[in-house]
Amino acid sequence: MSKHVSEWLNAYYDGELHGRQLKLVEEHLAECEICRSELESLAGLSALLHEVQTPEIGSLERFTSQVNLRLPHEKRTVVSRKQVIEFGWWTIPVGLLATWAFVSTAFLLSDILSVASGLGVLGGMSEWLASGPSNNVYLSTTVGQMGVLSSNSVNFAEAAETLTRMSLPQISVQISIALLYLSWMAIWWTRHTRQGHGQFLEG
Amino acid sequence: MGSAAGFLPFHFSNKKRKLYVNWMTKTKDNMEQYSATTISVEDELQLITRAQNGERNAFSELVRIHARGVFNVVFHMSGDALAADDAAQETFIRAWQNLSSYRPQTPLRNWLYRIAFNAAMDMIRKERHVLPNDIDEMELRDERSGPESLVSQQERTTMVQKAVLSLPDASRAVLVLREYEGMSYSEIADALDIPVGTVMSRLNYARKLLKENLQPKLAVAAEADYVQTR
Repeated sequence: MSKHVSEWLNAYYDGELHGRQLKLVEEHLAECEICRSELESLAGLSALLHEVQTPEIGSLERFTSQVNLRLPHEKRTVVSRKQVIEFGWWTIPVGLLATWAFVSTAFLLSDILSVASGLGVLGGMSEWLASGPSNNVYLSTTVGQMGVLSSNSVNFAEAAETLTRMSLPQISVQISIALLYLSWMAIWWTRHTRQGHGQFLEG
Repeated sequence: MGSAAGFLPFHFSNKKRKLYVNWMTKTKDNMEQYSATTISVEDELQLITRAQNGERNAFSELVRIHARGVFNVVFHMSGDALAADDAAQETFIRAWQNLSSYRPQTPLRNWLYRIAFNAAMDMIRKERHVLPNDIDEMELRDERSGPESLVSQQERTTMVQKAVLSLPDASRAVLVLREYEGMSYSEIADALDIPVGTVMSRLNYARKLLKENLQPKLAVAAEADYVQTR
């Protein structure tokens, strides 16, 4: 005789077994008195449990009215976690664009001021404004002093270093923003593809 | 009652509609148990949408449909009719307050039963001193033999009720949904947000404890049946 199927008897009794497992239990029950008795005790227990009758709720109208009376007049707006995440998700590109606009404007203003200062348009203010980082060309000068470069090359290197020193922060910030934006687009596309257009728009 | 392909609420995506209709089709045979008042899938979805938009009448209709089921669950969880009435009302109030977070992937009944379970637990914690909670208080074993030893129907009912109430909360919830609501394991898993395997093990455990507690009475009942049939 196969081994007892006690652990499956509840599921069998509840009609939750299917296929091979069901067949195995049925076959075992056909030949095992102990398991049959256990199954009968489950039926007995169920019958006993159903002796506990649920009292009548009374009039449905009374119950509904009482619920209605207790309902708050102003329905509480529940912001689900998903809605919060969705809001945060759509804030990312807006935030990135705003940052890009701010940084670009700042750099543009800085360039305008630099040019104006160079042309002497700002007069006395140029000294005050020039208190920021200077355009020193330490590297080119050092290399030139070592005699590695000719005088023309030194001039060229100094000009290139000045340009790099002024533009590098601007370029790196804009590249970072662009990369973040592209990453967001990639994630959006993945979500969009996985969830289907309608589902995604609904959130 | 319209057809399933008819006027489903516009804000449900095709995927959500499909999920909901699939579930309802699977459980079509249980529709009589599902609600006191028979209602089609699309009609219930319409009521839910209207209630989500703040229509109290639509919500009242949903209350009428699910009141008996919810009351049944909270009564068997708490064992007290008055507390159950209060917990059932509390269930619907919480449902109203959180209706905007309801998603049709979960059938409304399962969602309501989850709230009902929590409401019943809160009620039990609050009124533990009032509700019966100790099976040992009852005289469960009757050593006399023969049908004359049978306790009265009322006593037996109380005894069974106390045995159910003495079960751990998690096991009791599974047992109540299975025995008194006739829910399948997957529906119970959905309602209580637990895996089907956990449903199975909790149900096994609950029935094992009940049999241990009630075995003497089961034997007496069987003997009485035997005597009656002779």
